[in-house]
Amino acid sequence: MALNLVVCLKQIPNPDLQFQIAPDGKDIKRDSLNYKLNGADEYALEEAVRIKEKNGGRVVALTLGPKRVEPMLREALAKGADEAVRVSLDDPAAFDVGRNARILAATIKTLPYDLVLTGVQSDDYGNSATGGLVAGLLGLPHASVVTRVAVRSGGLEVACELEGGLERVYSLPLPALLTIQFGANTPRYAPLPAIMKAARQPIKEVDPEALGLTGWDSVPLPYSFDVVGLAPPSAKGHAEMVTGPVADQAKRLAQLLREKGFVRR
Amino acid sequence: MAGGVLIIAEHLDGRVAPSTLELIAAAGRLPIDRHTVQLAVLGHRVQEIARHLSGYAVDVLLADDPALAEYSGGAYAQAVRPLIESDRPRIVLIAHTAQGYDLGPALAGAMDLPLVTNCLALTLDGDRLVALRRILNEKVQMEVEIRSSRPIVVTMRPGATPPSGTGRGMMSVTEVPVSIDPTAPRATFVRTERPEVSDIDLSSADVIVSAGRGIQKKENLALVEAFAKAIGGVVGASRPLTDMEWLPKTRQVGQSGKTVRPKLYVACGISGAMQHLAGMKDAGLIIAINTDPTAPIFEVAHYGFTANVLELLPAVVKELKGG
Repeated sequence: MALNLVVCLKQIPNPDLQFQIAPDGKDIKRDSLNYKLNGADEYALEEAVRIKEKNGGRVVALTLGPKRVEPMLREALAKGADEAVRVSLDDPAAFDVGRNARILAATIKTLPYDLVLTGVQSDDYGNSATGGLVAGLLGLPHASVVTRVAVRSGGLEVACELEGGLERVYSLPLPALLTIQFGANTPRYAPLPAIMKAARQPIKEVDPEALGLTGWDSVPLPYSFDVVGLAPPSAKGHAEMVTGPVADQAKRLAQLLREKGFVRR
Repeated sequence: MAGGVLIIAEHLDGRVAPSTLELIAAAGRLPIDRHTVQLAVLGHRVQEIARHLSGYAVDVLLADDPALAEYSGGAYAQAVRPLIESDRPRIVLIAHTAQGYDLGPALAGAMDLPLVTNCLALTLDGDRLVALRRILNEKVQMEVEIRSSRPIVVTMRPGATPPSGTGRGMMSVTEVPVSIDPTAPRATFVRTERPEVSDIDLSSADVIVSAGRGIQKKENLALVEAFAKAIGGVVGASRPLTDMEWLPKTRQVGQSGKTVRPKLYVACGISGAMQHLAGMKDAGLIIAINTDPTAPIFEVAHYGFTANVLELLPAVVKELKGG
């Protein structure tokens, strides 16, 4: 059963970096950041491509963001997506997940789709909200934190991870939306010829007019959203830090383990 | 109740999730009349859970239906929807658990409601809700403001609010009608799968030494194992290591793995993602080893060592043997 698959990807600042707050306190400083494909989305992309390879169909990689997202979309093409779509939302921070999801849902409506995939969460903002919102907005059945997907006649059977290692298995009719968990599969590396080919493939751009909007600020929202401010986290209960040469730290750690009774000698 | 808070309870195998008691406490901190706080228990044959929760000084709404016997986002949303429509709460409070962030965003999308997720704390001032969140690997904290005349769906991070205690009087349990449309397309529960218990049980260990991405290579696990052996501990891991299958899934500490409370927890090369911290922050003594002094693991650790873990572990094993 050939499926039209849409996978929503997000480009995020490498979360291992250190971050500084912008002078207006409403965003981080972005001028020297390097960006990458969000971790969970790598698994969502791989899952989409595997479903296509097994069942036939087509994968559209969809994202919203400024021009800098294009290398990420080309990476998706090189790894097996058939088409790349960039919603031209230029807001570099795009903190309002409700607005992002409404724009994504409106864009998905313009595409053929049987199955929409997202990552379970983005490692930058950690909302775990885009997938569920899009499902609700499009009226799609959905399942979250998915670790396994099997396509059955007319539907899906999926395993969803819960806290404590439990899993719940659900069946869903199509069309549907799934949020894919980290580690759901082993993402592939893009072969060089595919990277070369992807470099030449067009990236489709979606502007507000294509969705019947006069601008990205005119997305109808049932609320107003504002960033009050960003700050370094309030340090509470910070550890007693031990620094200095390794040999000294080893002595201190051994002494500590003895003091606390974890080593007898 | 109009203007109040509607809490969605979570339960599994007849037990109330600890996060539900945290939500009751979080609702109690908001500047609203406590009589407008209601807690919805959804399920089948869960009267006992409903009665138990009414002991936490909240009025309980009980939605009982065979279609709610096991959690399914679609059925839960159908059962919650009329409660929101009739009661018009200011805030719908849900835990940011695997079940909660399955339900909350989809509910907000389906009902066109504002949403803010994974919150640490809330302030409510007139029509203005300010939510405190952590972003970018816990390195930045952020306050966002939502204004709306519609109920706001909020998910709260587990562990962020001290849970509510009982003993403040039994309140009422009211059965509410449920009608689940069987023809509406939704995810249908098939079965629960429990992990096979064949490995050591981390949750019963007194001493756990956990490895994270900082150990760099699978071969370096030997250093962690040698250190664990020297202090009579067992080896755990952060999620990236079990995802890469360096260690079995049963060794994973964190929200999606095991929650542990050992007497001693040594975190080796673990930065401390929120989902890991949730699984180990209540250990008696926490020692963290990480070259990045700003790593969030040091926020829950009692002692922090900044040496390279690959150099420190062999050195300390030598110290312990020679001493």
